[in-house]
Amino acid sequence: MFFLETPPDTSQYMVAGYAISFGVMLIYVASLFIRYRNLNRDMSMLEEMDKDK
Amino acid sequence: MQAKPSTLKVLDVVSLILLGISTYLALVFAPTEAVMGEVQRVFYFHVATAWVGMLGFMAAGVSGIIYLRTGDLKWDRVEIAAVEISLVFFFIAIVLGSIWARPVWNTWWTWDPRLTTAAITQLIYIAYFMLRQGIEDPDRRARFGAVYTLVGAVSVPITFMAIRLFRTIHPVVIGTESAEAQGGFNMTADMRVAFFFALFAFTVIFVDLFWNRIRMGTLADKVEQLKLKVMQ
Amino acid sequence: MTESTLTTTTHRPAKSSFWKAIAAVAWKDLAAELRSRELLSAMLVFSLLVILIFNFALELDIATRRSVTSGVLWSTFAFAGTLGLNRSMAIEKDRGCLDGLLLAPVDRSAIYFGKVISNLAFMLIVEAIVLPIYSVLYNTNLFQPGLLLVILLGSVGYVAVGTLLASMAVQTRTRDVLLPILLFPVVVPVLIAAVKASGGYLTGAPMTDILPWLNLLIAYDVIFTAIAFMVFDYVVEE
Repeated sequence: MFFLETPPDTSQYMVAGYAISFGVMLIYVASLFIRYRNLNRDMSMLEEMDKDK
Repeated sequence: MQAKPSTLKVLDVVSLILLGISTYLALVFAPTEAVMGEVQRVFYFHVATAWVGMLGFMAAGVSGIIYLRTGDLKWDRVEIAAVEISLVFFFIAIVLGSIWARPVWNTWWTWDPRLTTAAITQLIYIAYFMLRQGIEDPDRRARFGAVYTLVGAVSVPITFMAIRLFRTIHPVVIGTESAEAQGGFNMTADMRVAFFFALFAFTVIFVDLFWNRIRMGTLADKVEQLKLKVMQ
Repeated sequence: MTESTLTTTTHRPAKSSFWKAIAAVAWKDLAAELRSRELLSAMLVFSLLVILIFNFALELDIATRRSVTSGVLWSTFAFAGTLGLNRSMAIEKDRGCLDGLLLAPVDRSAIYFGKVISNLAFMLIVEAIVLPIYSVLYNTNLFQPGLLLVILLGSVGYVAVGTLLASMAVQTRTRDVLLPILLFPVVVPVLIAAVKASGGYLTGAPMTDILPWLNLLIAYDVIFTAIAFMVFDYVVEE
């Protein structure tokens, strides 16, 4: 088939797809990071309170 | 507070590099598919993220069983980490599947077995977190969580078979039925490279995230114990 | 009352006492229900209301009825089923019966099977009343042996998982809303297979089309009864 039409322009879908993949992964990693940081802060605060006692 | 093990630090960096290479292979290196055009490039991450979702799903089921056998709360932390990662990556896989389906099948959503089963798995995992939220006692929370992941782990494959008894339009890209369903295609050698590299890269990413998440669970439990001690 | 009979009759869990315990638990529920009838009447009225809603939501004329009858029936059973399961476990929890039962020196799984039997009985009674009413209202004969078999198999699977999950759900803070959320995603195969198999019998499909769904139902029933039997201990442990 020589006159096979050029593939339809679906690049917008591709961009959207990759944007969402990276967006969701980024949000997840950020949430891990933030939760970790908060836990660390709680931990050091509690350790200090424990020492005061 | 334990310092982050250096193996894990290395793994973090390696995961990032692998993700970068995989993105390059999928977006630049692999040739554009002739019929579907650029959107087919979504396929590499779609399958890889679904694969991570599956890994998480299996890890959750197994650690649930081990928890029930041993009663060691460590396995509860492993289980919740697996469920969370599976939830995130199945979500990406479903969205990517939808994005692929729109130009190829002209619909955002099809009741295809794999897509539907992944969506039901999401519902099970959301229910899992709701169940855990309603329980105060850590032991009971862990036990109920493990029982529910076990029930989910067994019911999901049966759900998949049940939905597959309907006709499927999901393309089978690997295997003999290749390109039978609309939207299927034969992979060229370069596509294969991008495909298998994406699987490999996401497996490493899975291990890395899993490890980090388990460490976070351990820390959270320590904070909880210390809180109880201080509040007394 | 019944708990005391349980404790006195079974000192050492033996084989015969296992069956006796199952019967005692099931009988306790059925006898209590026979007196109050609150569970059955609620489930029944609820199912009729669901059918009423479907009637107007789907306009069940002759043409649509052929294709949707099995779906309407199973949605009705599934919704009424959660109502029954929730209530039957919540009663145990609220009246402290569950704790009493757990103190009794019987195998925990006997409690599970007893509850399954009584829940199944409630569900089957509701179905036995809904079916003739539906038949009369829509002039469809639902009393075919094949269809009844499907309903039995589907109800067994539904109740086997439902009893396990309901005993977890009633021990949480959000118990009333939690059960359907926990239960529906894991009973999807039962509902698909039951709807398909009932639809097959109603439209007179060949047996080769129906058989895979029946097999699926049987497999699900066996697998989940076994799993629930193994894990029920963990669900009621204090």
